[in-house]
Amino acid sequence: MKYILEGFFQAFHLLSSGNDETYSAIWATLSCSSYSIAFSLTIGIPVGFCLGYYHFKGKNSLRTITDSLMALPTVFIGLIVYAFLTHSGPMGNFSLLFTLQGIVIGQTILALPIVISLSAAAVEGVDQKLHIMIMSLGGNRRHLFLTTLWEARHALMAGAMAAYGRVMTEVGVSMIVGGNIKWHTRTITTAIALETNKGQFGMGVALGLVLLFIAFCVNFSVSFLRRRN
Amino acid sequence: MKRFLPAALCFVLLVCFFPTVGLSQKQQLLMATTTSTDNTGLLDYLIPKFKEKTGIELKWTATGTGKALKMGENCDVDILMVHAPASEKKFVHNGFGTDRREIMYNDFVIIGPAQDRAGIKGKSIEAALQIIKAKKAVFVSRGDHSGTNKKEISLWKISNLPVPEKEKWYVQTGQGMLATINIATERNGYTMSDRGTYIKYEANLKGNPPLKILVEGDAILLNQYSVIAVNKKHCSNVKYHLARAFIEWITGAEAQTLIKDFKLLGKQLFTPNAKSYQ
Amino acid sequence: MNPPIYEIKGLKHNYDRKTILEINHLSIQKSSIIGLVGPNGSGKTTFLKLIGLIEKPTVGEIFFDGYAVEPFSDSARFLVSLLPQEPFLMKRNVYKNVSYGLKLRGNINDIKSKVEESLLTVGLAYNEYARREWYALSGGERQRVALASRLALKPKVLLLDEPTASVDSLSEQLIKDASLKAREQSGTTIIIASHDRQWLYEICDEILFFFQGKILETGQENFIYGPWKKIESGKWGKKLSDGQTLYVTEPPNQNSIAVINSFTFAQENIAGSDIEIDLKGILSRLSLERKTGQIFATILVGNLPLTLKIYPHQDRKKTCFPGKKKTIRYRLDQLKWI
Repeated sequence: MKYILEGFFQAFHLLSSGNDETYSAIWATLSCSSYSIAFSLTIGIPVGFCLGYYHFKGKNSLRTITDSLMALPTVFIGLIVYAFLTHSGPMGNFSLLFTLQGIVIGQTILALPIVISLSAAAVEGVDQKLHIMIMSLGGNRRHLFLTTLWEARHALMAGAMAAYGRVMTEVGVSMIVGGNIKWHTRTITTAIALETNKGQFGMGVALGLVLLFIAFCVNFSVSFLRRRN
Repeated sequence: MKRFLPAALCFVLLVCFFPTVGLSQKQQLLMATTTSTDNTGLLDYLIPKFKEKTGIELKWTATGTGKALKMGENCDVDILMVHAPASEKKFVHNGFGTDRREIMYNDFVIIGPAQDRAGIKGKSIEAALQIIKAKKAVFVSRGDHSGTNKKEISLWKISNLPVPEKEKWYVQTGQGMLATINIATERNGYTMSDRGTYIKYEANLKGNPPLKILVEGDAILLNQYSVIAVNKKHCSNVKYHLARAFIEWITGAEAQTLIKDFKLLGKQLFTPNAKSYQ
Repeated sequence: MNPPIYEIKGLKHNYDRKTILEINHLSIQKSSIIGLVGPNGSGKTTFLKLIGLIEKPTVGEIFFDGYAVEPFSDSARFLVSLLPQEPFLMKRNVYKNVSYGLKLRGNINDIKSKVEESLLTVGLAYNEYARREWYALSGGERQRVALASRLALKPKVLLLDEPTASVDSLSEQLIKDASLKAREQSGTTIIIASHDRQWLYEICDEILFFFQGKILETGQENFIYGPWKKIESGKWGKKLSDGQTLYVTEPPNQNSIAVINSFTFAQENIAGSDIEIDLKGILSRLSLERKTGQIFATILVGNLPLTLKIYPHQDRKKTCFPGKKKTIRYRLDQLKWI
């Protein structure tokens, strides 16, 4: 119990004293999750749009598949990505193992099913009448796509935040693909895993609180944007 | 104008994303080592000095011995620092590694609660394990095929006992050394650790840990650490010259002295024993 | 010779493998006002969606101003605008809704004045309404804003699907006025589907009757539904609520629909032949079809309203006024079944 209290004090101390290791981990976490969210949104939203907007054979089965993929364990994805990136694997030449870029690849794969599924749901929630309205005002397919996404913006934002949360707090991919290398690929979550393994529970709690604080800041800025709309 | 902004932003982000992959790897050496080594903090202490001396940046990832060796075999790292001599020799024999050099040693100890209900203190390793089995005392094992774990299993065999695989009192954690020690502390049980990690554990608890060293000193408890370069013939991408630079340094006088001077709570964790490098 | 604004050839549209609309040939002239009447489900909305280029017909071609067109056709999509029946706006304020179509066309000059002008046409003051959000409008106001968004685009063709169906009476009036203004000011062709026959008769150049996916010959149609019973040998009919029997020829099946086009007034005392049937009723309504000068009289026989056409000169004695008892006559050989 006392390590939880210890954790609170340590968290404050780590952040305010500008502790190098902590800030390096914060940077690693933020840059990896931001890149992977950016990539997964870029790929996932159009795919989710098509899945939600159009009617075609096998639509339901495809939805079921992406919904189920949301529950992929992170270590599983980590292992698969590792198998691809290792030097004896198909993408070994790129030397992406134990790099932040490698983690981004894994986290993008992690986030994609969430983005696709929730985007499809968001688009399905948009009134069919919008389609008629846009076409009757002279819109083309690009307008249908962009305006429908804008109409669904709240639900899409919620989906993006869910994906961001998953990616920022995962350990499996970062640990296996990143290797938890100090100063390079040690993220907050892998640092927590390490400290816990070393028995330094106070430090683990501290880092966890730091992560919570960051998540809070991100969510706060998003809700600020939402209110402006 | 407004339309270009998102496209420009994307471009900038992409540009930032890719180049760092190739560029900064010039003078970087990637090492796979074990969690026991990493947990002691020895590498945190040594590596900056290596960089100062040679300008080479050493990055290391800590896993179990088995995985470290596998990473060497898969050409994912340039150099290994492990402590499982039998497996290491096989590794070199199979052509995956070269330039194997012993660098330091410490020993394994059996630790347990100060109360020592089973009464193994001061006994030989064979006697201690036999008592533990007889009394069904809780014994916590790494259970992860690491170097430490393999050593522990060999001790049961040497004591003429079957490996207590399915026994209720034999707890396999599948985790690193410090985590295993913590579990042993919680369960009030016995476990086998390397002395370096034990001292680190002691230091973490400010010199007053619940588990104490009960059995030590048998010759068989020797724990030898070595470095091995990943074979360039097997893996064309490894930075062999950087690996050699490291091996030369760590077997050299300066590094060996540093190893000797690495102390926690005033106690020395490792004894350097490199033969001079040729 | 001016090409028609629309020419439709061999059009068939299916839904779930059922044909819901079938039009062999139709042309619509520029700047005309066309009315579409018919029961719900008769294909009016489908027709509007097809010529509005919202959907593509399963079979057949639509020509717009001489060009073959389909959804997203660049030659037509900026020139045709459909106002659907249900008032619907995007989740943004009034200004953004009305300016959406203008922005899409790259028409960024003077948006404010165009928005102001079209809002004014539908009776909404710019200062009061421009910043209102979509959720702060009544149904009628929403439909007026929807109409304003389309009027702002000055389309060549304006399609209105039951424009006054779900709105309050003020909005109804404003919508009607605004639509006509478009034709006056810009020569817009207007096609309106509505149940308000009176209004359509007043303003339309031509009225198309839709029934079960087909356009019937123009003219006032009376649809009489079954079920039909065999009354005596060789005679079929149905009993009306006032006890009279409406006789028909043998129906193809019990629930067929009888179509009678040719009611006339009969003198009560002069009996007709075997194939002429008389019915007693009361005149309930008179409407004027402005274009042709024809008058439509609605006679209630029991609870069944039947319509017949008369010309003013046919009523010199001025015996036609609502409330007058009339006898009407039809011929069995002019009865059709569908």
